[in-house]
Amino acid sequence: MWLGLWLAVLGLGVGIIVGLNIPLVLPHAYAKYLSVAALAALDSVLGGIRAAMEDHFDNEIFISGFFSNALLAAGLAFVGERLGIDLYLAAVVAFGVRIFNNIAIIRRHLLKK
Amino acid sequence: MHKSIYVSIILVAVSLGLMMAFQYRTSSSVEQGVPYGREQELTVEKLQLEKDLAHLREESSDLSAKLEEVGKGHSAAVDAFESELSKIKHYAGLVPVVGPGVEVILENLPDEKQDSYPERNSIKDDDLLRVINELRGAGAEAMAINNQRILATSEIRLAGKHIVVNMVNISAPYQIIAIGNATTLKSSLEIKGGLAEYLNDRGIVINVNIKEEILVPAYTGGLRFDYATTT
Repeated sequence: MWLGLWLAVLGLGVGIIVGLNIPLVLPHAYAKYLSVAALAALDSVLGGIRAAMEDHFDNEIFISGFFSNALLAAGLAFVGERLGIDLYLAAVVAFGVRIFNNIAIIRRHLLKK
Repeated sequence: MHKSIYVSIILVAVSLGLMMAFQYRTSSSVEQGVPYGREQELTVEKLQLEKDLAHLREESSDLSAKLEEVGKGHSAAVDAFESELSKIKHYAGLVPVVGPGVEVILENLPDEKQDSYPERNSIKDDDLLRVINELRGAGAEAMAINNQRILATSEIRLAGKHIVVNMVNISAPYQIIAIGNATTLKSSLEIKGGLAEYLNDRGIVINVNIKEEILVPAYTGGLRFDYATTT
């Protein structure tokens, strides 16, 4: 459990350092999709932590949920953009609500310990 | 089982970190730069303005070409008017003219040669009219009596002791100048049995001199048309 946490923190740090330093700038046009995707990924991670605390963490569900949620959110934003509907708002709201839910549950688990 | 969990945790953590870092960089660069929508808007506007500019340039060159054409036409018209005007002035006798011609001098005989009929040898308006008429018939193009230009409206009439031409009194000796074919003019007056002979018989001395170049002055009086209007 603690090894997993340390690994997660390490991976996050490596990702952030690499992301900040590679000389690749995303075009502004895609910033919106990436933001929604990042939000979905964050939600997935929090969902994973919550599942781990509830002791029914499933690796496959976690990893597939992570990527499919991110891609789906970005795709939804893309489609919405093409159709002239701000569908990314829906993704933002949905994932935002879930993030708050997950954080609340995690908090309760931490407090109950 | 545990190994794959750690791998997936690392994978997820790295991609999340990448995403967040990217997003952070993008949004901070967005704050520095122009928002995407605004940029697109401006690009569209610029394209539209460029199109407008090209269109207006085309229109401008078209219009300036037209203007040039019109200016050309205008100056041509002005030139035509001016040449027409000068032609008409020339024809009407409002400008001085110069050319070859004759000078006819009519004089009464000196007093001692005059006989007892003073009206017989004094020059009458009729005599001048005859001379003018004869010269006209011989193709005189411009004439003047004592520097009074003979126009289409000029009168020659006796008023007391004077003869009035263009409302100006003139008196003997009378100098008539005429531009035209000098020999024709001279011979038309001096033809046998012609006007010169007739005037000589009446006691008037007539001298016709051929001149290489004589100046016929312009009409200097006013031009008034109180009754005649153009139709």
